[in-house]
Amino acid sequence: MKYALLAMIAVLPISTVAQQAGQGGETIQISKTVPVILSGKWTGPRLPDGQPDVEGHWSNTIANHNNWTDPQGGAPGDAHPPQGPRSERAPSRVSDPADGQVPYQPWARAKQQEFAANFSNPVKPQYVEPLARCAPAGVPKSFTWHGYEIRQYPGYVLFLFNSGTRIIHLDGKRHLPESIKLWNADSRGHWEGNTLVVDVTNNNAKALFGRTGDFASDNVHIVERYIFDNDRKHYNYVAQITDPTVYTRPWTATIPARRWDEADTINGWHYEASVANLPGKALLHEHEERVCIENNGPFGQVAIPEAH
Amino acid sequence: MMTKLHVMRAGGLLMLVLLVTETFAAEGRIPRLSNGHPDFSGIWQTTSAADYDLEPHSARPGTPPGAGVVEGDSIPYLPSAQTQRKKNFEKRAQDDPRLKCWTLGTPRGIYYPEPFQIFQRPRDLTLVFQFGHSVRTIHTNGTLHPTKTDNEYWLGDSRGSWQGDTLVVDVTDFTDETWLDRAGNFHSTALHVVERWTLIDANTIEYKATLDDPQVYSKPWTLGVFLHRHREKDFQLIEDYCYTLGFDQFYPPRPDEKP
Repeated sequence: MKYALLAMIAVLPISTVAQQAGQGGETIQISKTVPVILSGKWTGPRLPDGQPDVEGHWSNTIANHNNWTDPQGGAPGDAHPPQGPRSERAPSRVSDPADGQVPYQPWARAKQQEFAANFSNPVKPQYVEPLARCAPAGVPKSFTWHGYEIRQYPGYVLFLFNSGTRIIHLDGKRHLPESIKLWNADSRGHWEGNTLVVDVTNNNAKALFGRTGDFASDNVHIVERYIFDNDRKHYNYVAQITDPTVYTRPWTATIPARRWDEADTINGWHYEASVANLPGKALLHEHEERVCIENNGPFGQVAIPEAH
Repeated sequence: MMTKLHVMRAGGLLMLVLLVTETFAAEGRIPRLSNGHPDFSGIWQTTSAADYDLEPHSARPGTPPGAGVVEGDSIPYLPSAQTQRKKNFEKRAQDDPRLKCWTLGTPRGIYYPEPFQIFQRPRDLTLVFQFGHSVRTIHTNGTLHPTKTDNEYWLGDSRGSWQGDTLVVDVTDFTDETWLDRAGNFHSTALHVVERWTLIDANTIEYKATLDDPQVYSKPWTLGVFLHRHREKDFQLIEDYCYTLGFDQFYPPRPDEKP
């Protein structure tokens, strides 16, 4: 009882997501289109160390991790899948190849389909979506799972996700040794005008991309381009994903995001913030503590017999 | 020639003296933000045995000895709290939340024997812990504790202010699920922690925490450890989500093995 409230907060978004998948999930799915944002000059404000100032809260505008290539198409096994033609929903997150499909090798396509077919009744542990175990969402799934905060420092960009943390090192040091594999991978970045370019290696690839079971192996190499609009309200996450173990060719993922700030209403999915106690001063929102494993019993559709 | 050599020696000595003085001064200087406050940015770790047992202890199986980090040596438990404390100690090999890789809490995360990184802006300090990878924000922007008083945070609610060059952090709103060390020292949701963070040189933080909990302790008590800056070349945190180790083997999919 003593942490029932926290547990509810932690669990609610997930059950809400499951319900919303069948209803179109309007509160999560706030757009069906991907804005065009070109790499180029940054004309917005800068931090004292010269980095473009992109600090604050952000969240993707399209959908959660229900479905990688038909983001608003519902999770596999959805009892009430969205109706209407595919063209009425947001495009695939796969922006290259043009068909919107992940260019899997045949064995990998079979594995992805096997996961999707078993997702709603996961009779084996490998069919449980790892987020249901409170695993970090990793790269790139974190960009489709709740809102997140960017904080910047000389030499670093810090991403505080709902489930996971990424420290982007801007100092050019070499990557960790290849034998080290991590849920949130290892990131080296630099700024090119309005674009944060991040080289991502050491990914353990265990997080998968979402409920459709799309995946990479731990050989995956990702080059991310975070292209920030000079309006300071939007950015596109554009990632080139290369993995000769799993795919037939490199492919590109695109995930649009928008900023959330004090002009917005706090939102339990996109904008998990609270009102700071600052009497007599302007409204200020602040980041809430995020824990998962500590406050949750199993919620992986009853697939996990024990919480730990 | 002799004179010239003496002059050169004297000059060399002077240079040496200047160099030593300069180095000494550099060691005495502490990094600061542009607003003048001390800058705690960096990767830190204690070398103490605090996490094994805050109180003085001889070596036990799996536990190195330690002189203790509690002022006055012992934690002033209320008589009513002794039973729980004894139970925790006896069941520490099973019940320590660390074994489930749960967030260690405040202050335990600070003296746990894995590094943590401080990122600092004028408005806050962000502490990213390698173990469990939990993230704590210490607000230094004048904000107060939440008006809602039944929050039960794993790391508490941290509001900091400056007393000279010391960062004083008031921490409230705790869960009672965290322990203070591997020996089962504990607290209730009434825990109130006041931390004092002081850079005593560029690479050393003197960390003190005063713990008050009228449900568990008879009076406030204070612990103290030194935190040392990691200065190894290219040192960085390596995430340690050890609660995932039990299901690591199931992901990602691999090609079926040929019979």
